[in-house]
Amino acid sequence: MSSSTTATLQVCRECGAGAPLDAHFCPQCTKILPLGRPGDYFGFLGLPRKLNIDGADLERRFRELSRQFHPDYFYNASPAERRASLERSSYLNDAYRTLKNPAARVEYLLALEGFGAKGPQEASKAVPPALLEEVFALNEELDEIREARSGGAPADAWKPRLERARTPIEARRAAHEADLRNLSARWDALVDRGDAASERRTVLESLRNRILERNYINNLLATIARELGSHE
Amino acid sequence: MSKVVGIDLGTTNSLVAYVKDGAPVVIRDESGDGLVPSVVSVAGDGTVHVGRDAERRLLTDAQRTAYSIKRFMGKGREDVRHEAEHFPFRVSGEAGGVVRIGLGEREYTPPEISAFVLRDLKRRAEEFFAGQGEFDNEVDRAVITVPAYFNDAQRTATRDAGRIAGLEVLRIINEPTAASLAYGLDKRHTGLIAVYDLGGGTFDISILRVEDGVFQVLATNGDTHLGGDDIDVLLMDTVLGDRARTAEDVQAVRQAVIQAKWDLSDREETTLNGRRFRRAEFEALIAPIVERTVGPVRQALADAGLEPSQIDEVVLVGGSTRIPLVRRRVEEIFGKTPHSELNPDEVVALGAAVQADILVTGNREMLLLDVTPLSLGIETIGGVVSKIIMRNSTIPASGSEMFTTAVDNQTAVDIHVLQGERELVADNRSLARFRLRGIPPMPAGMARVQVQFQIDANGILSVTARELRTDVEQTIEVKPSYGLTDEEVERMLLDSFEHAEADFAARLLIDARNEAEAVIQATEKSLRHPDFAAIEKDELAAGERQKIESVLAGLRMVLNSTDRETIQKWTHALNDATQHLAEVIMNRTVKAALSGRSVDDV
Repeated sequence: MSSSTTATLQVCRECGAGAPLDAHFCPQCTKILPLGRPGDYFGFLGLPRKLNIDGADLERRFRELSRQFHPDYFYNASPAERRASLERSSYLNDAYRTLKNPAARVEYLLALEGFGAKGPQEASKAVPPALLEEVFALNEELDEIREARSGGAPADAWKPRLERARTPIEARRAAHEADLRNLSARWDALVDRGDAASERRTVLESLRNRILERNYINNLLATIARELGSHE
Repeated sequence: MSKVVGIDLGTTNSLVAYVKDGAPVVIRDESGDGLVPSVVSVAGDGTVHVGRDAERRLLTDAQRTAYSIKRFMGKGREDVRHEAEHFPFRVSGEAGGVVRIGLGEREYTPPEISAFVLRDLKRRAEEFFAGQGEFDNEVDRAVITVPAYFNDAQRTATRDAGRIAGLEVLRIINEPTAASLAYGLDKRHTGLIAVYDLGGGTFDISILRVEDGVFQVLATNGDTHLGGDDIDVLLMDTVLGDRARTAEDVQAVRQAVIQAKWDLSDREETTLNGRRFRRAEFEALIAPIVERTVGPVRQALADAGLEPSQIDEVVLVGGSTRIPLVRRRVEEIFGKTPHSELNPDEVVALGAAVQADILVTGNREMLLLDVTPLSLGIETIGGVVSKIIMRNSTIPASGSEMFTTAVDNQTAVDIHVLQGERELVADNRSLARFRLRGIPPMPAGMARVQVQFQIDANGILSVTARELRTDVEQTIEVKPSYGLTDEEVERMLLDSFEHAEADFAARLLIDARNEAEAVIQATEKSLRHPDFAAIEKDELAAGERQKIESVLAGLRMVLNSTDRETIQKWTHALNDATQHLAEVIMNRTVKAALSGRSVDDV
C-alpha cells in the first residue's frame, strides 16, 4: 500500500483561494488557514516521509512554525483565525512530540502507510514468535526467584540471578535497535529512489515486527526492574 | 486605550506590574511597597478590608479574616478537611462541592475572596496610572499567574476570580515560566534553565530550553501544597503545643514565627517565644519540608531527559527561597550557584507583565511555549484511566477518543474526565463529567462519536464531540467537579460590590423580564391544552379567552422595553387574567388523577 493522496488543494475560507495541502497560510490573502484536512506530521513540518531526522533541524522547524502559529500572536485576530491558530499550534505540538521520538516516529510512519497496530493490545498481549524462547526462559527464572524469595532467601542470593537473566534481554534490545536503524536507512533509501512498492512493503513489515518486539522487550525489562526495585 | 497589567496572585502576597517603554515595572504604593498581602477581612458592618489593613485585623478579628486562600482554589470540601483546622475562618461546603469560606454572616467561594485581592490590585494600578496623568487609566485586562503544577480546576478558579473582579483574563501563565521571561529580558540566553519556585503555599520546578527567544518548557513538576505556610504551621505547633488559645493569640504566634523565620535568613539566631532560636535548630526542623522538593526536581529532570549537571542556569523564585537551607540544597542538587539577582517576590509579576505586553502588542521577540503539568484521561471499564494527553505535552495540545453506544438506539453517553498520573480513577483528580447527548438512534456499536479534548494556551480544557456517521455536532453539558458554572460566575460578578450599584437596575429589569417570560409560557401552555376547546365551552366565561389573548399580546409588546414597571404591570395583568383558567385546569388534573386516568383522557 503506497501513500496515494487524493486531494491536492485546500481552500481558504477567508478569500476562497486554493492553497497547497501543506500550506499554513493562504498564498492569496496571507491569513492563517484552518486545519481542515492536514496532510501528515512529516508534510506539516516540511519534511520528507523519512525516518532519519536531524534533531537540531526538527527543533528549528518547530520553533519557526511556533512563531508563526502561536495563539499569543492572534490575540487581536478574528475568531476564525484564532481558532485556526489554536488548531495549527496543537497539531504542530503533536507532530513535534511524535517525530522527536525515534520509536514513536516509526510507529507513526507505519500507521500512515497502513501498517499500524490493530489496537493497543496487539503490542503487549501476544508474545512475538521471535521472542518465545527468551520469554519462556525468563518466566521460569522469575518464578524460581520469587519462590526462593518467599522462602526467605536473602537478596544477595537471588539478585545476581535476576541481573544475569537481564543480560541476554538487554543484548536483544541492542540488536533490535541496530535492526531498526538499518531498516530505517533502507526505508529512507527507498523513499529517495521512489516507487518499488513491493520492497517498501517488505521493509515496512519488518519494521512493524521489530517495533512490536521492541515494545515487548521493554516491558520485560521493566518487569525485571520492578522485581529488583521492589525488594531493596 | 485602557491598560493591561500582569498580576502575581500569590498565596501570601500579590503584586501588579506593567510594561513601561519595553521594560516591566512593579506598581508600588506611596511608601514604595509593591506587595499586597493576599488577606481579606470582612468587618461586622460589611466593610471589606484587603492587604495590610486586613492583615492587621488578623490580630483583632481573626475569624472574619481569610488568608492563604490560594490553597483552597479549585478544591472540594474533602480535599481540605485536614488543614482547615489551622485557619481561624470557617471552612465548609457541600460534600462533593466547592469549598466555602465563612467570614462573619456570609460565605464566600475561594474565587470570590481572591477577587477582592484582584480588585484591590486593579484599583492600585488605576490610581497609579491616574497619578501618571494618563487620560484612560482603566485597567480591564490582565495576565494572571498560577503555579505550574495547578490542575484544570485550580486554573479555572483563578480565571473565574479575575472575571468576578471585572478583569478580562488575557492569559493564565505559569509562575516559573513567567519568572524565566523576566530573567531572559536583558540577556539573550541560550541554554537549559531550571526554575525552582518555592512560595508561600506551592512548589514548582520547571526545566526550560531557551533559544532564539523561544522559552520552551521541557518538563514541569511540583506540589501545590508545599511552601512557607507549611514551615509556619510546623513552627506554630512547636510553640503552641496543646494549649488552648483564642484565634487572635494563634495569629499573634503565627506572626512571631514568621518574623523568626525571616530573621534566620540573615542571622544565625533570633528569639522566639522568649527563648533563643538558632538557625541550626530551625534547619533541623524544616529539613523534611525542604527535602520534599527534591523528588519533584528529579522527576522533572528525568522527564526532560536531562542530568542535573546539564542545566546551565538555575533561577530561584518565591519568598521561601530566601531561606539559606533551601539555597544550599538547590546548589547541591544542580552543582551550581543559583541566580537571585531579581527580587524573588517580584520576578513573577514582572514576567506576567511581559506576557501581557506580548499579547496586546503582538511583539514577536519572545515566545513562551509551556506544557500541561498533568496527564489528561477518561474513565474506562473497571475504573481505569485511559490517558489522552500526556503530561509535559506542549500546549496548546489536543487529543481525541472514539466512543460508541452499548445498546440499540442509545442517544447519550456519559464521560468522566480526569487529570493525574495514576492508573485508577479513584487516585486521580476528577475534572468533570460530561453527557454526550443527541446521538442519532442506531443499532448498538454503530455510532462513532469522536470526542476532541483541547487544552488551550492557558492549560484549560475544553471538549467538543461529533458523531462521524451523521456529522452531527453533539451537545456537551459540563459539570465541573470542583468549580463554578458560568452562571455562578456571572451572578458573583453581579453580586460583587463594585458592580452591584451600576447593575442593580439592570438586574431588576432582567428579573422582571424573566418573570414575564415565565407567565407568558404558562399561559401559552394553558391555551394549548389538549382539552382547551371543551374547557372554554364548559367553564370559561364569554370573552374570557379573548381577554387573555389580548393581555398576552400586550405583555409581549412591552417585554423588550427597558421600563421595568410597565413590564411588571402587564405581567400582573396577565397573571390576573389567567387565574381562573389556571384553576380550572388544575381542578381537572386533580380529578383525573383521583379517578386514575391520565389528564389527556379526561
